[in-house]
Amino acid sequence: MIRYRFGATTDLTAPIDDRLAVGDERVVDFLARLARKLLAPAVARRQPELGSLGYFLRPAELNRAVSRMRREDAFVFPRGNVFHVPPANVDTIFVYSWALSALAGNNNVVRISERSAVAADTILAALNEVLADADPVIGRTQRMVTYGRDDAVTAALSQWADLRVIWGGDAAVNAIRKHPLRPSARDLTFPDRTSWAAISAAGWRAADPAARRQAVVGFSNDAYWFDQAACSSPRTVFLVGTDTADVRAEFVELLLEVVDQRGWQVDAAMAVEKRVNAYGLAATGAVTALDFPANSVTAMSLAAVPDAPRRWIGAGAFPFAEVGSLLDLVPAMNRQDQTFSHFGFAPDELRAFALALAGRGVDRIVPFGSALTFGAIWDGYDLPHEFTRLTTVATS
Amino acid sequence: MSVFTLPQAVKEEVLLKDLSALVEHHRARCAPYDRILAANAYSSASSIAELPWLPVRLFKNLELKSIPDDEVFKVLTSSGTTGEVSRIYLDKAAAATQTRQLGATVQTVLGPKRLPMLLVDTKAMLKDRRSFSARGAGVLGMSTFGRDHVWALDNDGHVDLDAIRGFLEKHGGAPFLIFGFTYMVWLHLYEVARDHGLDLSNGILIHSGGWKKLVDQAVSPEVFRERLAEVGLVNTHNFYGMVEQIGTIFLEGPSGGSLYCPDFADVVVRDPVTWRELPPGETGLLEVVSTLPTSYPGHVLLTEDLGVVHGIDDGDWPGKRFSVHGRLPRAEARGCSDTYQEAA
Repeated sequence: MIRYRFGATTDLTAPIDDRLAVGDERVVDFLARLARKLLAPAVARRQPELGSLGYFLRPAELNRAVSRMRREDAFVFPRGNVFHVPPANVDTIFVYSWALSALAGNNNVVRISERSAVAADTILAALNEVLADADPVIGRTQRMVTYGRDDAVTAALSQWADLRVIWGGDAAVNAIRKHPLRPSARDLTFPDRTSWAAISAAGWRAADPAARRQAVVGFSNDAYWFDQAACSSPRTVFLVGTDTADVRAEFVELLLEVVDQRGWQVDAAMAVEKRVNAYGLAATGAVTALDFPANSVTAMSLAAVPDAPRRWIGAGAFPFAEVGSLLDLVPAMNRQDQTFSHFGFAPDELRAFALALAGRGVDRIVPFGSALTFGAIWDGYDLPHEFTRLTTVATS
Repeated sequence: MSVFTLPQAVKEEVLLKDLSALVEHHRARCAPYDRILAANAYSSASSIAELPWLPVRLFKNLELKSIPDDEVFKVLTSSGTTGEVSRIYLDKAAAATQTRQLGATVQTVLGPKRLPMLLVDTKAMLKDRRSFSARGAGVLGMSTFGRDHVWALDNDGHVDLDAIRGFLEKHGGAPFLIFGFTYMVWLHLYEVARDHGLDLSNGILIHSGGWKKLVDQAVSPEVFRERLAEVGLVNTHNFYGMVEQIGTIFLEGPSGGSLYCPDFADVVVRDPVTWRELPPGETGLLEVVSTLPTSYPGHVLLTEDLGVVHGIDDGDWPGKRFSVHGRLPRAEARGCSDTYQEAA
């Protein structure tokens, strides 16, 4: 049973006569109008993640993405048919994934989860309002649907697709990959990821109280927005320097204050979940000290850097480990690691860290407060590039 | 003979001493347990509420035992809703103790002699591997306290009226034991007794299991007792217990409405925000303590059940009396890694 949420309610895999171009004006116009709706103060205040999305869809940002698609040495065309399987509960991912692909001129089918949350409904309402006045080609080429456990639909869309975009972690990728693609098609996968945070003790001590508080506000957004369970949500906090106990203590104290001011609640069930997982880490010896100052914040002392857990502990659970320098972290990082949020480091330290990692792990190094900010380069992929194909012409 | 004898003050003094000794016993024998306590900087407790509790779900994630592998006599499992299974390790001594103390607890209401026993269940259930662990172990464990067992349901799960009538003809004139899960008793015994005028007045019912299915049908514990009394079954005792604290059950007193703690066990109700003990009358998370777990560190457990203490030393039996109010919902994460739950 397919529920059409956006676009034409016709056969999803039927041939489409319309052709969109890379950076098609009709798509740019549509997305710009969607951005205005999402940036309306009433919406952005109520659901800040929609404000971020609106910001990403402004014409200036869109033009930047389009310019990334153009190149001198080849003609750039849409990849063709793109089937998106976004995660259920990070409500806005489906729009980022889809918008970039639409901007590249592709025919898109987005499968929206049955369990999608409030923000997804708000976005779909906004999308459909804009669609009413948009060029009809948008509705004919861009579709969003919801369907339950229906292998037949997934199989048919997989056969239709030139590119299949699978979000949602290892299990989702493995489940969807059971359905073969055509030989010419490929997958763009977003498997399980882990993200980290690091504070330079020297940088922290040198920062004034306002800057420290601002850093913690940014970090708390990164950590608590999606219950610390988004791929980019920071989990372990590395304290870089020596004798960093004072930095950790002040950081945790500020975090408690900020989380309390925001009114972010961690309910009893989540508090128990965190205890279970934290005790589990203590039982194996990975964690040597546990601190439960409030349900909202669980602090743990890691025995050693390699013990930093890569699985979710619960909302507001922070293992801490001290290291002498960022370079000491390099051996512990691997392919699963995505975002590395930082505070207090000199730009050269961060560049040296990235160079030492040499692509073996960590795709994004961003300041506190930007961990969840989506970008056209994501998980190590240049998405505008992934959503297009190239034709070369040699004339002699 | 009763195991419900100690006033609260006396009990707390005894239990604090015994449980503190058990803490050290397990710390010395179960390294993961010791590491958890060390990480929590635990040193000693001056009240039962200060004793270090483990979340009961930890037994689903970790192997926690205080005996060497070659002394494991029995491994009990409980199936959870998500397929996770608690594993509880018993040596010979612990297995014997739990049976003995469970017996002593139920004999408080059954008397010292084994009674003829009507099991409100189906024998076929014992063969169902999937449901055996929880329901089967409960039925088997309790069946040792009865004799001349008769199953009230046939192998297809239908009420076996002839079997029940036969049982009552033979044993109905003197005290007999009825055991079953609460919702099974309601569905398969109460309604049948009512419709067919069965005389259950000499029965002593011991029942357990969640109330959710019954509360959904607007059957509260009070209604349950009243209706059963209408068909003559006035002696009914609900109990609360879990495989992670096998052998320890909290038994409903003769006048109903409250569960009581045997002398070797107690409950603490905790505020799920401050984690401090709540006074009687306030609902929180139930912690259960018992001196029976010697082969695994299950002596102080935080359950995921909500409960309330109604009073102390003011009921049928001494000590705390309390009720269980249902389960804490399982925490659900938002996040990227969740498409799979419905990925087709």
